Amino acid sequence: MKQLKIALVLLLIGGVLTTVAFFMAFFTAEVQRFGTVKLDEPVTYQNEAGETITSAFPFQIVTQETTAAPSAEASGAASVDTTGTASAETTVAAPQFEYGKPWFSQKIFYFHVPVAEASFLVLLLSAYFGIRFLTTRRKEYDTKSRIAMETALVFVVLTMITGVLWTKASWNQWWDWEPRLTTYFIMMLLMVAYFVLRNSSEDEERRAVYAGAFAVIAAIDAPISFFITRLLPSNHPVVFKSGMATSNLLPFIVAQIGMLMIGYAIYVVRMHEERMRERLEVVKDALED
Amino acid sequence: MSTAAEKPRSLSWRQFRAILRKDIVMELRTKEMVTSMGIYALLTMVVYQVALSQASEAFDPREIASGLLWLAFIFTSMLGLNRSLVHEKDQGCLEALLLSPVDRPVIFFAKAIGNLVFLGIVEMLTIPIFAFLFLQGSGYAGDWWMIPLVLAAGSLGIAGVGTLLATMSVNTKGKDFVLAVLMVPLMYPLLLAAVSATTTAVLGGADATTPFWQAMALIAGYDGIMLVASYGLYEFVVGA
Repeated sequence: MKQLKIALVLLLIGGVLTTVAFFMAFFTAEVQRFGTVKLDEPVTYQNEAGETITSAFPFQIVTQETTAAPSAEASGAASVDTTGTASAETTVAAPQFEYGKPWFSQKIFYFHVPVAEASFLVLLLSAYFGIRFLTTRRKEYDTKSRIAMETALVFVVLTMITGVLWTKASWNQWWDWEPRLTTYFIMMLLMVAYFVLRNSSEDEERRAVYAGAFAVIAAIDAPISFFITRLLPSNHPVVFKSGMATSNLLPFIVAQIGMLMIGYAIYVVRMHEERMRERLEVVKDALED
Repeated sequence: MSTAAEKPRSLSWRQFRAILRKDIVMELRTKEMVTSMGIYALLTMVVYQVALSQASEAFDPREIASGLLWLAFIFTSMLGLNRSLVHEKDQGCLEALLLSPVDRPVIFFAKAIGNLVFLGIVEMLTIPIFAFLFLQGSGYAGDWWMIPLVLAAGSLGIAGVGTLLATMSVNTKGKDFVLAVLMVPLMYPLLLAAVSATTTAVLGGADATTPFWQAMALIAGYDGIMLVASYGLYEFVVGA
């Protein structure tokens, strides 16, 4: 019961942290909240056929018309200008692209990436318990491996859903067979296959061994999927390559910690349930005798 | 065979040869695996004909030829792998092998090489038929050794990982279905690289060398990692 309490507390804290991160994403993070976003060039994405697809968000071209404006701002800028002739020539600025809708899709980053990284970690945890089971043959490690795989699958499905939403918003297509998406999809299939294998084996000992071995093989895909965007040309953004502003990094880290807590809490609760079930089986057997 | 006074190193070599010979002799007598795999591959070609029947005149079959070929190989190999292990299990041969003082890795390598040989035979039968049916009049632009190299490397991966997976799936309720569910996603990187290498070999061109060797490096990496993993895990799996 003590573990269950810890898990519930963790779940609560994790939930609060992810919620906080959610609000931080909208109110303190760099790419600002509601309203419109002005960019120097339209956000485009080139698909495989070479067609340029603009973002799903409609945008208008807004040319800055500050023609020797008498406004305080413009004159202030002009006085800095060394030429002194704050004129229309210098401020025929490049057209700006104003997005009529908020730069909304970026916000999913604070959910999508923590969930994805948690899914990798939990999958590796499952493989670790798989190895532990194969070497020690203790049943608890098999249960741990299975529960970790379940938790990882939940995270993978969440990542897929948020990822597909973002892909539609940002690339204007639901799915693209590019390296990260493909390897991640394969990883999901492997995790589904893990449960197919489990359900299809009848002998308990054998099922545990097969599942442990397959968890190890399936987990090989986790590092591949993680590093593939860094190795191959890919449309999928790479998070830590270009660095992040602190105001972005902070909600990200908060969300990441929260997500790991939630993951751990789910794992502990499921483990607790599993132990209770085993105890129930023992009691049932005793009653039958 | 020779006397037992030989070096222990050659002992596992002889065990390896004995298991491999057993598989080949059984195949020579029954001709079951190669026949079923061959006919299956042939039927796949018929289905391909249907799939391509609505393609336009300008369509160049060479662009998708290697994809179709590897598709045939992967499905045929699943059939063969399943058969190869079902025999072992149904006739109690695997249990006898496990009782005899043979190292588990020896069993793995012997079974994998046996499956590789049968897969190779089927591939060598399939490719001329495929070329005859779909590629008449199209040229082959690469060097002659390119396709055999890809085939060997790709089949090695299929046979190695497939032997491990088939050993698992043969003991489950839904034998071949489970094998397919386990094998197809696991084979994905290998298939992708093999198709890419074969296509560059077929289409050729001045800048085909670099992508070809990139794909070959991917296949080699996959084979390396997956064979080591299969080799390490086989000991646990076969004894369960």
